[in-house]
Amino acid sequence: MAGLPRRILKETQRLMQEPVPGISAIPDDNNARYFHVVIKGPSESPYHSGLFELELFLPEEYPMSAPKVRFMTKIYHPNIDKLGRICLDILKDKWSPALQIRTVLLSIQALLSAPNPDDPLDNNVADLWKCNEQQAIETAKDWTRKYAMAKNNNIQ
Amino acid sequence: MSGQMSQESDNEYSDDHIEDDEDEYDNYYYDNNDDLDLDKPKKSDDPEYFEFDLLKVEDVERLLNEEVEALCTSLKITPSLAKMLLHAHGWQRSLIIERHQRDPEKFLVDSRIVADKKNISQDNIMGLTHTCPICVQQLSKDEFQALSCQHLFCNECWDMHFNIQINQGLTTGIECMGKDCKLLVPEDFICGILKDTSMREKYFKFSFTDLIKSHSQLRFCPGPNCSIVVQAKEPKAKRVECNMCKSTFCFRCGIDYHAPTDCDTIKKWLMKCADDSETANYISANTKDCPKCHVCIEKNGGCNHMQCSKCKSDFCWMCLGEWKTHGSEYYECSRFKENPNIANESVHVQAREALKKYLFYYERWENHAKSLTLEEQTFKNISTRIQEKVMNNEGTWIAWQYLLKAADLLKKCRYSLQYTYPYAYYLDRGGRKELFEYQQAQLEAEVENLSWKVERAEISDTGELENLMDIAEKRRLTLLKDFLEV
Ligand SMILES: [Zn+2]
Ligand SMILES: [Zn+2]
Ligand SMILES: [Zn+2]
Ligand SMILES: [Zn+2]
Ligand SMILES: [Zn+2]
Ligand SMILES: [Zn+2]
Repeated sequence: MAGLPRRILKETQRLMQEPVPGISAIPDDNNARYFHVVIKGPSESPYHSGLFELELFLPEEYPMSAPKVRFMTKIYHPNIDKLGRICLDILKDKWSPALQIRTVLLSIQALLSAPNPDDPLDNNVADLWKCNEQQAIETAKDWTRKYAMAKNNNIQ
Repeated sequence: MSGQMSQESDNEYSDDHIEDDEDEYDNYYYDNNDDLDLDKPKKSDDPEYFEFDLLKVEDVERLLNEEVEALCTSLKITPSLAKMLLHAHGWQRSLIIERHQRDPEKFLVDSRIVADKKNISQDNIMGLTHTCPICVQQLSKDEFQALSCQHLFCNECWDMHFNIQINQGLTTGIECMGKDCKLLVPEDFICGILKDTSMREKYFKFSFTDLIKSHSQLRFCPGPNCSIVVQAKEPKAKRVECNMCKSTFCFRCGIDYHAPTDCDTIKKWLMKCADDSETANYISANTKDCPKCHVCIEKNGGCNHMQCSKCKSDFCWMCLGEWKTHGSEYYECSRFKENPNIANESVHVQAREALKKYLFYYERWENHAKSLTLEEQTFKNISTRIQEKVMNNEGTWIAWQYLLKAADLLKKCRYSLQYTYPYAYYLDRGGRKELFEYQQAQLEAEVENLSWKVERAEISDTGELENLMDIAEKRRLTLLKDFLEV
């Protein structure tokens, strides 16, 4: 791709050379702004041993505008909706050009370890999470088994 | 009335003149009646009294510039900085000056204008070139700029940052690009970097709006495409009417005027109504069955005192009870009877009761809103009726004007009555609620009396109608005086 900003090249290089533990992000062969992402469900979370696929896209204005990220694998989480959209402040109004793809992926991984039902994207999930956490966690584990363990992705 | 006068009036009967003429008559009275000043609402006895000015954009620009200049002179700072301080502190100049004098450095840090010493970046330019952390380009050192936080970025990255923020509607809130840096970027810094002049114009247009919104004494008229700005010395929840677009609204929150309910309560109520719109949907019927003979009756006027066309029984549209009981001291139609033992009931019973209570108030709120739209129609019907009457030589045009005045007053009273329901819904049980409900019931009874009479009045009823108008308005003012926060 002609005219890919230096910033994106640098970030991609570093992602490949020093990958974040538990996360793989590989640029698409045909579009260097599109990344295939896989996040490993953090241990001690209901997503443990699940492999979650995401897509990440760097818009024209990146890094002035935030990357667009979405879960492709179904996941039961109060801050992630049916379409896989993520409620994360740094992806919206708290975005700063000083942040990077790396920081975004780390934040998403952290969100899996610590769901935040007080700032929900999916109200039904958040309500259950608040009034019956045990049952919500069981459902999340169930969905992880059903949707995030079928394939055997390679991940470091 | 002299013959000559009626002849003159003859030409003015056509519909489209009626409203203008009414104003002229008002002026005529104002100019000729010396006693009238005594009848004008005075601060002390009108709970809705409110002083405000309607400003045009040029007036507002001048006003804001004067305030900015005054602060510049007192604190010896640039206009760009003065604007930031005024915006951040609701344009309270004396408070700004006081805090600035006490500890200027801390004040500027707290206002996010100067960087806190411990947050200043050590990322200095050593050689002749530097690498921009955003675009990762190595550039000559004079391509870089930073605010007092010393977060260095190249001009091109700054420019792109500002363009994107302004296109999203941000101006006074634009922050430094440094990680976790909350420092605000001043106007002169932004304009020094923006290359595109149209972007600069956009910045000034949006920031002007922002500055007005941050000013506690100013409020944009919420009317569609209206550019009027209202100025009031005290930001109170009072009624404002814009003379450009004719919108009326609450000065404090900008939505429809809502006395006696306060701004927070009406917001809560409207949100609840929007959330529960499906539950309440079944209410929106325009027909009900007569409680006596069960014939289907359609409501086509504002009045809730219904008379069955078939069996002639009088009943109340709201509760379907006999109308006779409604005018009395024991008027109960507007009062929701709460189960006094509710705290000891099961969760299910409580939930059902809560829904019942909400629907009770919602139904009455909604019904008055509907009656108000129906009364718009009544108003038009009255104008037509007056024309017919005058043509048939039953009274003169000016003699019939009292009916239009009555219809106008009716609208005002019913409007206040509608807004008593959210107030009552959120009011805790006790003596104050009892007093409120008593006054509400009194007002309700008078509004329906007036409504019934307005739809049927003859020229000979002037005296009676004027009496009813007087009582209804007194009831309305008594309720507002006791319960509207001043
Ligand atoms: Zn740069
Ligand atoms: Zn900074
Ligand atoms: Zn207006
Ligand atoms: Zn208000
Ligand atoms: Zn009947
Ligand atoms: Zn009734």
